[in-house]
Amino acid sequence: MARGFRLGFVLILLFSVILSACSGGSDASDKNKDGKVVVNFQTFWGSETRKPVIDKIVSDFNKSQDEIEVKHTFVPWGDIWTKNTAAVAAGNPADVIVNDLHSVAHRAKNGQTEDLSQYLGEDLKNTLYPNLWDSALYQDKVHGVPFATDNRLLFYNKDAYKEAGLDPEKPPTTWQELEEHAKKLDVKKGNSYERVGYYPLWGSFGAASWMSNADDGKGFIEGDKMYFATANKIEGLEWVADWQKRLGKKNVQAFEAEFGSGQTNPFISEKVAIWTDTANFYTQIRDSKTDMNFGVAPIPAFKEGGRNWNEGGGFVMEVPKGAEHPKEAATFIEYLTSEKVQSYWAEKNFDIVANKKAADSVVNALEGDGKLVYESAINNLKDTPFHSVPVKYPDYKSIVDPIIDNAVQGKISPEQALKKAEKDVKNSAK
Amino acid sequence: MNETVINEKEKPYPPEKTTELDVTSAALPKAAVLSKRKRNKGGKTENLMGYLFISPWIVGLLFLMAGPLLFSLYVSFTDYNITSQMNFVGLDNYKRMFTEDNLFWTSLWNTLYFVIFSVPLTTAGAVFVALLLNQKIPGMKIFRTIYYLPAVLSGVAVYFLWMHLLSPSTGLVNTILDWFGINGPAWLFDPEWTKPSLILMKLWSVGGGMLLYLARLQGVSPALYEAADLDGANAFQKFFHITLPMLTPIIFFDIITSTIFSFQIFQEAYVMIQGGDLSSSGGLEGGPANSLLFYNLHMWNNAFKIFNMGYASAMAWFLFFIIMILTVFHLKFSNKWVHYDGGDKK
Repeated sequence: MARGFRLGFVLILLFSVILSACSGGSDASDKNKDGKVVVNFQTFWGSETRKPVIDKIVSDFNKSQDEIEVKHTFVPWGDIWTKNTAAVAAGNPADVIVNDLHSVAHRAKNGQTEDLSQYLGEDLKNTLYPNLWDSALYQDKVHGVPFATDNRLLFYNKDAYKEAGLDPEKPPTTWQELEEHAKKLDVKKGNSYERVGYYPLWGSFGAASWMSNADDGKGFIEGDKMYFATANKIEGLEWVADWQKRLGKKNVQAFEAEFGSGQTNPFISEKVAIWTDTANFYTQIRDSKTDMNFGVAPIPAFKEGGRNWNEGGGFVMEVPKGAEHPKEAATFIEYLTSEKVQSYWAEKNFDIVANKKAADSVVNALEGDGKLVYESAINNLKDTPFHSVPVKYPDYKSIVDPIIDNAVQGKISPEQALKKAEKDVKNSAK
Repeated sequence: MNETVINEKEKPYPPEKTTELDVTSAALPKAAVLSKRKRNKGGKTENLMGYLFISPWIVGLLFLMAGPLLFSLYVSFTDYNITSQMNFVGLDNYKRMFTEDNLFWTSLWNTLYFVIFSVPLTTAGAVFVALLLNQKIPGMKIFRTIYYLPAVLSGVAVYFLWMHLLSPSTGLVNTILDWFGINGPAWLFDPEWTKPSLILMKLWSVGGGMLLYLARLQGVSPALYEAADLDGANAFQKFFHITLPMLTPIIFFDIITSTIFSFQIFQEAYVMIQGGDLSSSGGLEGGPANSLLFYNLHMWNNAFKIFNMGYASAMAWFLFFIIMILTVFHLKFSNKWVHYDGGDKK
């Protein structure tokens, strides 16, 4: 019997040798037949609108090059970053990948990205928006190059404004005005609403963003300091929670459920009169062919005379740790963030791009509503902080969000919630 | 379940320790035995052939299962972050789990809640439906197909279907409740109702278990019922003394597997929460007020969002431990209530 086991063991070994021999072939794509270095580039841009644009950009680059050939691979949104982490661990990542701006430092700290400082030209920094650039640094080293960004705008229905007796050219500038306008815009029938003027947590400006807006743009954690239960944040959260009290939890949930499936947007179907969303939201309005008139405005200030603090996010081009050709990857990244490519990307996709000149040139090229929206988003950049994932508390959002949720639901007072959130976050770091 | 065809003496190597549930490993020796029957001599070649036949499975087990399994056990004692560090930290991960991580308790509670309600309800539901579908009425095949259909449909499409059904003001469920004057809850949007929503959804697809019960019911000898009739037993007595005992092996199997699967609930929450992009806090990871932050979701977040793979592995092993205890418990007590036809177990 022992012999039998030995035989079995030999067979297993044999089998695994065959397996490993098969997998050895993957390095063959290192250089192509023309002797060009192959740079593997992964994005999640596979949609009908985005894929042709990025493919064109890549093929233009390849035509202009006799040393590098970029191969673009689409990886679905739900998989791309998990796969990348696994690939970094296995030592065979792509050379360039699109990743999230907020968590650059978090990945850099965990050794998932290459430091690009030595490969990038000196001038690159000055061509991009400075606060974006800074968000992609970790310990003063460049771990990603900003590609595109977003911030939030207040879209408002001008027709509804007229109907409610409000001046359609005067969108709200403060929280108080926003609330006054919203009340006038509400259309109530019995206990339910036919139209809700506004609800601060719909769209893409969450409770944390409102609190940051109230607190001079400060997030919960800035560097080593925590700003949870500040007077302004407490007041901000109280204000947010009051909206649900006024409209009624049932009504809010019912509305959320209706548009939660993502088929119709309640602003476009005129069920909500004011809506907070990114500039890209304009393309939805445009493509819906609605004849509604709308205007855009910055996020209202907490108090009169205050700044219109916004909330920014975006994407960077990153070289995963262990990539074979970081130098060539950096060359491609510089091309991707050049004015020409960036303005092409912006025109086609309506993204706010990181290159300053490109963004400006797009404003000039656009007209009508599109111009209005894009210009407004660019003006927002000066008031837009990027609340990066703090390296010490990478998990803080999943701790804080449910507590804030409970405060909005009225189960705990805003002050208690924020104090508890701070305590829990502190406990989460060993 | 054991292969009775196999004569003990004919077995080419010591019988593997198989549990009742281990269908694959029980089936494999059979293949080896068949090859043996053709050629009665030359044991060496046969052993070789036997191992050759099962080698894909053994290689798979060793490299794709056992290897990673042991690796994750080791990792659970380190601060492994997938890409750059793996320092031994002793029991720190386990300590943190029980003493510092509130979300661990939230996720464990959410999961337990789901298991405690969904396992008995789906089992009882499946038995009930199987009993109904075991009647002799015309068109029964159509009913059986209809009830089995949800088990065939699966994945994201079903979740989206249920998101529509459970929509608070226009969904079918609340519309029907409304006919009876009941003001339905906000289901997936109300922290109190999110878990019941998922349990309801699970109940809809009891067809898979139903099929097993139905097959068993069809196999119950009519002689038993006839004998009971002669003794003057009523329908209830027949059910509790014949039908139910005959079903117990399947109930046992169903409970063990569905407990294991229920503890691993992940997809439903992952998809149904991310399906909408709205919530009071903007972030949707664990559903409204973290009411759908299930164990595996929390583990996944730790592993792939926070890169805390060491901690996630510790969580995985603790879950393994819980399931192990429960399964051993089930197995221990099974002889108290599970009835086997052969009579070798009581």
